[in-house]
Amino acid sequence: MGQESNAGEPKVLILATLSGGYAGADSVGQAHAEYATNTYILPVVCPAMFPEEFYIESFERGIDAILVMFSGTDCPYKGGAERTAQIINKVYPMMKERGIDTRRLRLVAICTVCTKPFLKEVTQVNELLDEIGHVAAEIAAGPSVQAPAS
Amino acid sequence: MPEKHDSKAAAKAKSSPKEEEVRIGAYTCYCGGNISDVVYCEKVAEALAKLPNVVVSRTDMSMCSDAGQAKIEEDIREHGVNRVVVGACAPSLHEQTFRGTVQRAGLNPFFYHHVGLREQDSWVHHDRVAATKKAIRLMSAGIAKARLLEPLEHIRLSAEKHALVIGGGIAGLRAARDISRRGLKVTLIERSPFLGGHMAQLESIFPTEEDARTVLHGLIEEVAADPNITLYTSSELTGVRGYVGDYQVQITQQSRGVDEDVAEEAMAACTLEVPDDYNYGLTQRKVIYKAYPGCYPPTPAVDWKNIPDGKLELKMNGKKIKLENKPKTIDVKVGAIVIATGFTPYEPRKGEYGYGELPEVVTMPQFIRLLAMAPKGEELVINEKPVRNIGFIHCVGSRQIDDVHEPQPDGEVNNYCSRVCCTATLHLANDLRHRFPDLNIFDVYEDIRTYGRGHEDYYIEASENRVVFLRFHGEEPPEVVASPDDDVSPVQIKLKDYLTWGEEVEVPADLIVLAVGIMPNPVDDLINLLKVSPGTDRFLLEVHPKLRPVETAVPGIVLAGTAQGPMTIQESCAAASAAAAKVSVLLSQGLVELEPYVARVDLDLCKGSGECVEVCAYEDAITLESMTIGGKEVKRAVVSPANCAGCGACVSACPNRAIDLQGWTLGQYQSMIEAIVAEIPAVEIES
Repeated sequence: MGQESNAGEPKVLILATLSGGYAGADSVGQAHAEYATNTYILPVVCPAMFPEEFYIESFERGIDAILVMFSGTDCPYKGGAERTAQIINKVYPMMKERGIDTRRLRLVAICTVCTKPFLKEVTQVNELLDEIGHVAAEIAAGPSVQAPAS
Repeated sequence: MPEKHDSKAAAKAKSSPKEEEVRIGAYTCYCGGNISDVVYCEKVAEALAKLPNVVVSRTDMSMCSDAGQAKIEEDIREHGVNRVVVGACAPSLHEQTFRGTVQRAGLNPFFYHHVGLREQDSWVHHDRVAATKKAIRLMSAGIAKARLLEPLEHIRLSAEKHALVIGGGIAGLRAARDISRRGLKVTLIERSPFLGGHMAQLESIFPTEEDARTVLHGLIEEVAADPNITLYTSSELTGVRGYVGDYQVQITQQSRGVDEDVAEEAMAACTLEVPDDYNYGLTQRKVIYKAYPGCYPPTPAVDWKNIPDGKLELKMNGKKIKLENKPKTIDVKVGAIVIATGFTPYEPRKGEYGYGELPEVVTMPQFIRLLAMAPKGEELVINEKPVRNIGFIHCVGSRQIDDVHEPQPDGEVNNYCSRVCCTATLHLANDLRHRFPDLNIFDVYEDIRTYGRGHEDYYIEASENRVVFLRFHGEEPPEVVASPDDDVSPVQIKLKDYLTWGEEVEVPADLIVLAVGIMPNPVDDLINLLKVSPGTDRFLLEVHPKLRPVETAVPGIVLAGTAQGPMTIQESCAAASAAAAKVSVLLSQGLVELEPYVARVDLDLCKGSGECVEVCAYEDAITLESMTIGGKEVKRAVVSPANCAGCGACVSACPNRAIDLQGWTLGQYQSMIEAIVAEIPAVEIES
């Protein structure tokens, strides 16, 4: 095997809060429940730290879908959930402007023991990627091929 | 196992990290086969060795073992490694272990990054090649972050060796006593004029069958006699400034109302009566009152909450006396705060299971008081009426279902289990059986959840002693109705009983006891003052239910007891002791050490636009301050690390990207993402 690019495999970035999604992903591991390997989980304190362009730039870098797994209304940081939701809502029109299918970005509440919801999200996003393919094609084509907002 | 060593420049490794070459040690752990059974760890190490800045890439059967850690230390000392990345189990398990390892070898402990390869790779994937490629990408991302790691220092603050405990129930008392025993001072405040909380309203308690007030009074006596503990009853927290180690709190205390030497006389002279909250409104008491015989403090108090204008007149010895509430404020400096504000029993709506409409329907807390006041004898007599048939209904105000139950004022139903009511009901049923052998006892339940040690025994005992069980489904709750006039009992419970496969059953009852759930005491004022967060169930939230089970996200503020969720007395005491231990560890050195993951402002980029201040939910965490830069007077954002919770809201709000979160910078995330999408180094991976 030479240089391994995995270009054919769409990549799912999971931004998972330490108090929610990241611990939830660890719970999935402890349950030895299998899911797709194209998922890359990065721990975050609270996704309220990411500005709108962070998501756009991630898509432009080649991330095909982003799941923000936060603690929802159980976020231990005052106002963190509301702030995150506001930011994500602002990202959607920016995605549309660039022709990126808005279904590629999802904000979901995952708790420390939410193994089934975690698996469901990962399954669903991969089903979506099977349908719509890589983000690069959308960005290259521009806004004309954008999918309807979810 | 293949290893990559680059001993060049090893000598210049330790300090001045910004100027020196970044030399990364990458370590892929077998985890005793937990990782290596799926991931080809040697191939991972081989691939990582090809990445820029990686000077050592090793594997080990167990990196966390002494031998594994020794290898890291040796690489730091002998091979000039100055950043360390370990791919192993979850960071929650061993991140601190490896921070200690690199620190022992002379590196800043934050020159370390941990990658979870076990829970998030080998344990969730079976395809060995794909899992190996994923491990390479995850480790590459970790290495990308490691290139940008900066030396960080724990935030060290001097700390008052003094804690505030809010709430004088069993959890607050226990927390106060435990903190004091470790040599710290405690100020305990209680909103009501008397200590003890709801435990004082109980009689015998499970699973020990001790008398509730005997146990409680033992603790109160210890607390009251403790010179380290200052008690303020009729007191609430009304102001907070500062941060962990140095909270300046303001306490407002209502007047006791009467001088101790004439208090008993004043109570006797008082004629104004109000519902007695000790008996859940079933009886009346005077507004100058003692909560119950033997309460603490023993001096009667005026119940100002039932005297809206704060003034009371009474005649004593023929003289007219005017009593007035003159609240006073007390300022205290404390290092930490324990929230032990407790619970309130669920109050059924009028008409819910007949409550408030049928006099034969009471809640379980009310029944406990009624039973305590009932005449002694072989027949149960409540409100002067003999009770031959009694029915308990479980899960009233708990495990509620949308569209089946009425929501609370906030629009949410109580969908949680209140945990204590099943055992409490069975404990009471057994007590009734012993005291009133001829009583017919019906227990109408959804599920029996006697989860604690010894609790199941209550269920077994009840089952063997003629307690009749009937089971309903949550979607079909039982109905309570008045009986037809000619019936033997005044009320009936009608239900579809799933122990008899859905048979429609009518249970005759002289008294129906609703096993009501637990709701948090309303503490919106505290939530606003202390910036702690409630969950959707309205109970206060811990940071993490397992890893940081009593800490809130606000440093130095911890939770004890049922303010956090439904708990038995036993669990409340355990939680209070855990909270006390946390406070003790935090304050006992007189120095608080906090994680350095707080916001940081780049003054070269800051334009003083103030969005960060607007978006920040934490008081004084970030402020605009005047300063002179380049000869000009300007306003710039300044972070108070002690007040910053590290949520990063200011990072995204800054239009100039002048703020970042130390240890989790945007740049580090971007580099990790670049590594995830990049081509991985060429290695032959078996298939």
